[in-house]
This record gives sequence, structure tokens and C-alpha cells, in this order.
Amino acid sequence: MSYQYGQGYPGPGGNAPQRHPPPGAPYGGGPAAGQYGSHYGGAPPGQQYGGGVPYGSYGQPRPGAPYGGGQAPGGPYGGYGQPQSGPYSQQAPAGNIPPGVNPEAYQWFSSVDIDHSGYINAKELKQALMNSNNSTFNDETCIMMLNMFDKTKSGRVDVFGFSALWVFLQQWRAMFQQFDRDRSGSINSNEMHQALSQMGYNLSPQFIQELVNRYSKGSVNGVLQLDRFIQVCTQLQSMTQAFREKDTSMTGNVRLSYEEFLSGAITRLM
Amino acid sequence: MAYHNQYRPPHYNSAPPDQGFLWNIFQRVDKDRSGAISDTELQQALSNGTWTPFNPVTVRSIISMFDRENKGGVNFNEFAGVWKYITDWQNIFRTYDRDNSGFIDKNELKQALTGFGYRLSDQFYNTLIEKFDRQKRGQVAFDDFIQCCIVLQRLTDVFRRYDTDQDGWIQVSYEQYLSMVFNVV
Repeated sequence: MSYQYGQGYPGPGGNAPQRHPPPGAPYGGGPAAGQYGSHYGGAPPGQQYGGGVPYGSYGQPRPGAPYGGGQAPGGPYGGYGQPQSGPYSQQAPAGNIPPGVNPEAYQWFSSVDIDHSGYINAKELKQALMNSNNSTFNDETCIMMLNMFDKTKSGRVDVFGFSALWVFLQQWRAMFQQFDRDRSGSINSNEMHQALSQMGYNLSPQFIQELVNRYSKGSVNGVLQLDRFIQVCTQLQSMTQAFREKDTSMTGNVRLSYEEFLSGAITRLM
Repeated sequence: MAYHNQYRPPHYNSAPPDQGFLWNIFQRVDKDRSGAISDTELQQALSNGTWTPFNPVTVRSIISMFDRENKGGVNFNEFAGVWKYITDWQNIFRTYDRDNSGFIDKNELKQALTGFGYRLSDQFYNTLIEKFDRQKRGQVAFDDFIQCCIVLQRLTDVFRRYDTDQDGWIQVSYEQYLSMVFNVV
């Protein structure tokens, strides 16, 4: 086996910092298009899926609050992804909430940290999170979120990391509910198309259909639960960022060497 | 997702182990006796030689390669493939981990990947170490090494599909790019 690729390209971008913007932040231009707009092929949103729904009616995506800034996203989002029922609410914190930690997240933390280690690992996180069809969160999404907020790369988060993770989760959950137009508890490809348009992506219906099919494998066909929705949207953000860095002239096309391609993808793996 | 042919570790072909031996292992790993080994069960059974839990992402990658019906685990027949896959990687890893530390450093990683046919810049090896060194030691452990190789192999395969003239460069649109990377991550 011989790989012809890779002639020692210096590979810019290899050390690009990894960013995890909160949902909506970089694409917060509101309904469809935005500056990244029509270059990226595909029909304008709304034509095929013509329900005639005015996109503006969704309101703007929640602007990205800084992680751990103590901003509790408005109120209880009933239903989706709440911790599994149990004695959680009985364990109200005694009031020693560390600075910068979201109070609700703090309360969750002590109930989710089952072994009282001071950290939450993937297993504990998975046990605490549920989709609206009562399935637990998939492993990839749990690992991805832990990696995003785990500064030490130890595969677990302390209370500060968890607080940021929790805010992230609440924001995506709010988005999920907003885009789940038929209140089915899941996002179908129509809804996904609207959601992504709203976030500023211009992707073809075919592409979105494939994306949804790919990530709904092994569950009910053709719909995304909350965990997959978060996974898809987060990776889309990250990979779009990678593409943009190379598409400096905003033509919607990039020319990449083998090593540039590898670097761009690998530095953004989660 | 039949990756099992494509993603066999290069340059290695161990003899298949005895079925009775494998069955014994399978039963011990399948703690809940469900007839399938889940991510968690496999992770608990595997050791990366450093007393830290086996990389869950590697476990997921391996299971998804052999789990033909997307049931979230591997049955006994599939487990035979998993076992061989991991054993083959282990043998490869040992040949490069010359001091038996359980880790390979940048030079050893470079030797290994060069041996597989990759030609990559020195700077790129820094990127790889930075990304796959979960324990922050400047070295790569066995489980992370497997994951590194899987990712490189997948990315290289998808790159090749687009690099039709084999010149090491591709030109792709936004959606093509997303399709390429979503197939890997």
C-alpha cells in the first residue's frame, strides 16, 4: 500500500484553536442566507418545503452567552432531556455554589455525580440525559460534550465544566423544541431543513436528508432525537468553520492538499 | 458499515484463535449475558497498558466497524473479528513501542505511519500527537494510536475518492467537503 499524498506541505491551520461557539452564535445572522449565503448551492429554503412558514416567526437564535456566565436560559424546558426522574430535586444545594457556576447546573451536578468524585464522566452523563422518547443519550454525543468542556482532557468535567456544558445543553434543547414544529419530540428532515436555514446554513434538501438518515440510523428512521440533533449541529458548525478558514475568497469552493485536508479535519475531531 | 475489510491493520495477519478460547472470553466480557458486547462491556475488558480507561471513542469506532446490524454491540461471530483486529493492532504497536512503555513517542509514531505508507510532514506529526495524546504526555498510548490510525485511514480513503487525478490536491464545494468529513467524524 503506498500513499502518494503528502509532499511535506507545511499545513497551515494545523494549530488552529478549537472553538465551540454556543448555538447560533456564529451564524446568528437570523433567517437564512446571511453572509455565507447563496454561494453554497442548494435551493433557497422554503421553496420545496413550501409550508409557507415565515422564517422570521421563529425569532432569532439565542445569542451566544459566554459559558458559565451564570445566565440561566429561561425557565424549565419541560419534557426533553430532563434528568431521569428520581430524587434529584430533594438535593437542593446548601448555598455554597462556586462563583460562575449556574445554580441549576450546580444542583444537577450533585445529583448526577453519583459516585461523589467531584467529576462527571461519560457514564454518569449518559445516565442523566434522556431524549423525549426515553432513550438515553448516545455515547458519541456524551463524549463530544465532555470533550468540549473538559479542559484537562481526562474524559470528565468538574462542576465548572459541567455548568458550561449544562448551559450549552439547555440552549440546544431550546432550539430543538423551537424547531420541533409538530411537537413530536423529534426533528424530521423538513424540520431540520428549516432549523439549519434559520441558523444561516444554505444546504440542499438532499444533503440534509442524507444527514438526517445517517444520524437516525439504528433508531426510528428519518428523525433526529435531541442527542443526534446536538451532535449534527455541533459538528456542522465546526466543519463549516474549517471550510471557511480555507475559503478565504468566499467562493464556496476550496482547493486543499492532502495534508491540509487531514489537518483541518483532525484538529476539529471531537 | 462494513469497515472490517477495509480497515484491517496493515501488514499483519495473525492466526485466528481457537473458537473455544474466544467463546470463553466472549462470555466473560458479555457481563449482562445479553449475547452482545456493548461499548461499556468492551471498554471494561480492554486495557491500554497504562491503568487508565480505554479510549471510549476507539471502542465506539471498533464496535461500529463490526456491528453489522447497528444493534449497538457485537455478537459472538462479530466479536471474533474484533478480537483479531485488536490483537493485530497490539502486535503492531509492540513492534514500535521498543521500550515497552505502553506509549509511542513522535518518532515511533512517525516510523509506524511511514511503515504504513504515509508521507507526512514533521509539523503534521505534532498535530497528531497533540490531538491523540489524551494523557498529555507528548506520547500516544495504544488505544489512542488505534484511533489515530483509523481516522487517518478514513480521511485518506475519502480524500482519494475525490483526488481522481492522484496529484494530492482536491477541489471541493462546501457540501462536498461536509460530506467528506461527516463520513469520518
